[in-house]
Amino acid sequence: MRRQVPLALCFIFGLVMMLAEFSPHPLSQGIRKEIIDWSLIIWPFALVLAVASLVHTHWIRIRRRAEYWQYSYLVFIGMIVMVVIGIPFGKRHPAFVWMFENVQVPMDATMFSLLAFIIASAAYRAFRARTFEASLLLAAALIVMIGNVPVGDFIWNKVIQFGDDLPSTARQWILDNPNLSSRRGIILGISLGVISQSIRIILGIERSYLGGGD
Amino acid sequence: MKIEKMLQWIVVFALMLSFGSSIGFSQQPAPPTNVNAFDTPNDNGASVTITWNKSADDGVGAKTVIGYNVLRQSPDGEFEVITESPLKAGATRYVDQGAKGGPACRYIVRAITASESTVDSMATAPVKAVGNWFHTGKKWIFLALILFSVAVVYSIYHARRGKEIFIRRIPGLEAVDEAIGRATEMGRPIMYILGLGSVSDVATIASMNILSQVARKTADYEMPLRVPCNDPIVLNVVREMVRTAYVNEGRPDAYQEDDIFFLTESQFAYAAGVDGMMIREKPAAIFMQGTFYAESLILAETGNSVGAIQIAGTDSDSQLPFFIAACDYTLIGEELYAASAYLSREPMLIGSLRGQDYGKLIIFGALILGVILELIGITWVTTFFQRVG
Repeated sequence: MRRQVPLALCFIFGLVMMLAEFSPHPLSQGIRKEIIDWSLIIWPFALVLAVASLVHTHWIRIRRRAEYWQYSYLVFIGMIVMVVIGIPFGKRHPAFVWMFENVQVPMDATMFSLLAFIIASAAYRAFRARTFEASLLLAAALIVMIGNVPVGDFIWNKVIQFGDDLPSTARQWILDNPNLSSRRGIILGISLGVISQSIRIILGIERSYLGGGD
Repeated sequence: MKIEKMLQWIVVFALMLSFGSSIGFSQQPAPPTNVNAFDTPNDNGASVTITWNKSADDGVGAKTVIGYNVLRQSPDGEFEVITESPLKAGATRYVDQGAKGGPACRYIVRAITASESTVDSMATAPVKAVGNWFHTGKKWIFLALILFSVAVVYSIYHARRGKEIFIRRIPGLEAVDEAIGRATEMGRPIMYILGLGSVSDVATIASMNILSQVARKTADYEMPLRVPCNDPIVLNVVREMVRTAYVNEGRPDAYQEDDIFFLTESQFAYAAGVDGMMIREKPAAIFMQGTFYAESLILAETGNSVGAIQIAGTDSDSQLPFFIAACDYTLIGEELYAASAYLSREPMLIGSLRGQDYGKLIIFGALILGVILELIGITWVTTFFQRVG
């Protein structure tokens, strides 16, 4: 019974949502919207448990004096300050907005900008021409990189003087042909995989999300 | 004689006036013709579409029509303008989005000139907006879905007979045991990252299915399994799922709820948090399965720097190159969805992979056929698929 009820619910709601995709009638769209609205109700309850999990994790870190446990106090301070300002005054209060714009946004931007360095180190490893495939990748990457910057065409047209805008034309050809066709191949496979996975879940054949077993 | 002369002048003047009005002095443009109103097909019953032929004076001549207004008959019989501002000259179509639930009503199209003189078309027949049960524009997609589903279901039930089904090797999945074994030997934890997807993303569900299989193995080996989550619902589902996996393996005592925890919903804060954990705890094996965005490379490179064996898998095609560059094994696209079947080796799940392959075979055949026909100048196959898309 503990298994049958979730499986039956999954079958009914999965089928209804799938059929609603093909039916624009107000009744079917109304049912679809209702199901989505109901699923949203779960979120606040789950959030309470998630916040409890966060508090518990950092409380344990402080209690056990885990490595860098002092930073867990920062989590609590940040959390309390945002709650104290956010709940009574709302998320549009200048203090709340100030903290968001001057604390969270710069920190997010810092992490994002790290990508520039990380891409360089990953590219160095990926483009080491040890095999034929890696050499091919390196050549394609060089063409795309040169074609992407205006100075690439400038050097080609003014210094080498062999064909007009060849780097950007070659770059576009690589992106439009080998790159796009392989991406579409992957996307086709993904789409079939998604449908197949959905059928397995709707029919109750795939039960791993219930923890496995029968 | 004088009266005759005067009458002559009056007749000539009247003739001139009538002639002048017919050749250009009139401010009345020609009306829009062939006005037709019909229930918009494949909608939820909220709209009526009105089409017409342009006025003969649209954009030309002294009586230039500069736009059109559409009028709907109200319940009291009066016609009211429903276009917020006049449609530009050349327009021949308007969709009335305010027709939901109303009675059947008539429509008129009104042509407007620069001098603000107007002329109305004939009123249309009464029409009522009705919701459609089936979107006919999606009939081919629906048919393809049904055929593919039948192929998958047939393969699943065919597999129940116990016939051996061949599935190709997926190195990334064969390395799961190796990764867990390595972590056991090194005595370091295993980290499982589900990505930034919510529980409604199929990739996240596929990832949870893999996690379930991984949890069974970590339960056997008694290895700590660390799962930082960024979605509250995913957190709760995963906790329950891993706990059940441990119970099914007969190791409920080994389950540590604190190892599956909520980090943050913010994308880069999550990346920073997970990176910090990687550097502090130095996990021996890292699984990154699910939906990833720009944080994919930040996570994968950090994992690489701590020397962990990394198995990644995502359906985000733009992130695949990053995982391929930085991880030891990568499940590409559909392999992510095949993983649960591959790891569990359940015949019915493996059977569904065979059905998936039938679908790929049909698409592959259609692609080859399309290319050949296009090369010899026959275009109906490509035209058909373009129309369906």
